[in-house]
Amino acid sequence: MRGIVYCLAAVMRTKLAEQMAYRSHFALSVLLLIIGDLVVPFVTLLVYQSGASFPGWSLHEALLVQAVFTLAKGVAFPFFFGMVGTTLSQVREGTFDLLLLRPRPVMLMAMLTGFDPDDFGRLVSGSVLFGYALSGLSGPSGQSWLQFTLLFVASIAILCAVSLFLSGMLFRWVGSSRVFDIFDAVTSFGMYPGTIFSKSLQNVLTYVLPIGLIAFVPASALLGRNGWETLWALAPAAVFLVLGALYWNRMLRGYTSAGG
Amino acid sequence: MIEVRNLTKTYMTHERGHTLREVAKNLIRRPMKEIRAVNDLSFTVEQGEMLAFLGPNGAGKSTTLKMLTGVLHPTSGEVRALGLIPWKQRREYVGRIGAVFGQKSQLLWDIPPADAFYMNKAIYGVPDRDYRATLDELVTLLDVGDVIRKPTRQLSLGERMKCEFIMAMLHRPELVFLDEPTIGLDMIAKENIRGFIRSMNRQGVTFILTTHDLGDVEMLAERVMVINHGEIVVDDSLGGLRSRLGDKKSVRLTTESAVPDIRQQGLSIIERIGPLEIEIEIDISLLPLKRFIREFNEAYGIIDMAIESLPIEAIMKELYSEGAKSEIAASR
Repeated sequence: MRGIVYCLAAVMRTKLAEQMAYRSHFALSVLLLIIGDLVVPFVTLLVYQSGASFPGWSLHEALLVQAVFTLAKGVAFPFFFGMVGTTLSQVREGTFDLLLLRPRPVMLMAMLTGFDPDDFGRLVSGSVLFGYALSGLSGPSGQSWLQFTLLFVASIAILCAVSLFLSGMLFRWVGSSRVFDIFDAVTSFGMYPGTIFSKSLQNVLTYVLPIGLIAFVPASALLGRNGWETLWALAPAAVFLVLGALYWNRMLRGYTSAGG
Repeated sequence: MIEVRNLTKTYMTHERGHTLREVAKNLIRRPMKEIRAVNDLSFTVEQGEMLAFLGPNGAGKSTTLKMLTGVLHPTSGEVRALGLIPWKQRREYVGRIGAVFGQKSQLLWDIPPADAFYMNKAIYGVPDRDYRATLDELVTLLDVGDVIRKPTRQLSLGERMKCEFIMAMLHRPELVFLDEPTIGLDMIAKENIRGFIRSMNRQGVTFILTTHDLGDVEMLAERVMVINHGEIVVDDSLGGLRSRLGDKKSVRLTTESAVPDIRQQGLSIIERIGPLEIEIEIDISLLPLKRFIREFNEAYGIIDMAIESLPIEAIMKELYSEGAKSEIAASR
C-alpha cells in the first residue's frame, strides 16, 4: 500500500510538471473548465429570476445539487476520468502495451497515466458554487454533514465506476471518442433535483443507473430532507463500482494491441 | 531462461475493399477472417544470450514478442520465462524484464527524462540508493549527463534513444526486449547504442532483439532466429546462417566493357551500380573463384575488384523469398 501511495505521489508530481511545461495552456484550461461548469448554474439562476423554478426546490437548494455535482467531478475527474482518454488514444495506437509492462495493476496504471491536474479547476467552481448555495440556506446539522460525507464518497465511487465502464468499452470499440458524449448525456440527469423526474425515472436513476447518487442524494442529505435510511444508497454505489472494475478487467482481456 | 512450447496466436480481423459500395456494405456486415499470426513456435533462450529475432513485416515477430513480454495472451502453447508464465504472473514478471521500443517512447515528451526516470523509480519500487547508483552508472556509460535535464522534445533522436535505454534499465532487468532500438539513428548514435547493449550483455543481461537493421544483427547477435508466416524458418548462429546458403561470395567489379545479363550456373547479378560497375553473387562451390576471375578478365577486362562474404542482407532476402515461394506453392 505504501508503495502504491509513493507511486501515486511520484506520478502526480510528474504529471503536474508536465502540465507546467505549458503554463498558459494549463491556466487557460482551468479557466475554461471553471466557466464551463458555471454555465448550467447560471441558466438555473436565470430560470429562477424569470419566476420559474424546479417544483419544491428553492434557488439555493437547486444550486446545491449542481454544486455537489461539480465538486464530485472535481475530485473524480483528475483521478479517474483521465483513464478514458488514455484508453481511447493508447489502445488505438498500441501504446497501451507500455502500461502492461509496468509491475503495477493495469487499472491503477491507466488511472495514473490519465491523471489530469487541469480538472482540479472543477473543484474551484464547485467550491464557489457550494459556498454560494449554502449561504442562502440554514446551516446543516452535524447528522446531515455526516450523511453528506458518506454519500459524497458514494458519488465519487459512481463517477469512478462510470469511468471504468467507458474506458472498458474502448478495448472493444477502439477509437470511439463518442464515449464522452455518452457520459455527458447520461450524467446530465444528475445535475437536477431528482424529484422533477417521474417516480419510475427516479428509481432508475437511483438503483439501476445510479446517476442520482452523484449529486441529488448527497445534496438532499445535506439539506436534511432524508433520514438515515438514505445510506442504503451506498449499496448500489458499491455494486456499481465492483461491476465497473469487473467489466474493465474483462474487457482488458480482449486487448489485442496494434501491429508491430 | 525462456522456454517456449507450441506457442500459437490467432486473432480475428475484418476485411473490406476500398470501393464506396464495399464501405457501405461493411457498415451492415463485416466479414471476419482468422489470422494465424504465430504458429506452433518452440524454442529456448539461455541466460546471457543475445538473440536476434528476424523476419519480414507481418511475419509474427512482434506478436511473439508481445506474448513473451506478457502483453498478449497466446491462443495456445506455453511460455516459461524467468521461471514465470508472463501473462499469468505479469506483475512479478515485468518487474524483472525491460523493453525498449524504437517506435514507442516511454519518456514524457514535455518534461526532462530525469522526471520520467524518477516516475519509473516509483513505479518499479527501486530503492533510493540503488536508483542513484544505477542512474549514475548508466548516465556515465551513455554520456548523457547534460541531456537528462533538458525537455525530451528538445533532444535529438540519438539522445532520446539513450534515455529510453536508461528508462528500461533503471530497475536492473535480467531480460531485455529490444524492438527496432536503432531505427532512424545515425551511424555514431547506432554505434553508441550497440556498445551499450554489448556492455550490458557482458554484465549478464539477456537480450532479445527484433530489428530490420541487419547491421544490428551483425554487430550484436550471437544467434539468429528467422520467423516467417508465424513459423521459425531458421534458428542458428550468424556464422551458421551464412554457411547455410552455400559458399557464396559477393564480388564487386569495375570492367573495361559492360557485362551483359549472365546466364551461367553459380552466378547472379546482385546490382548494376553503373554502366561498367556491377555486383555479382558467386557460388564458389559451382564456379571456383580462380576460374571466374580468369573468364571475366578475358571477356570484359577487370579494372578493379573487391571480394566479400555475402552480406547478411542477401542471406535474409533469400530466406524471406524462400518463405514467400513456399507460401505460394502451399496455396496452389
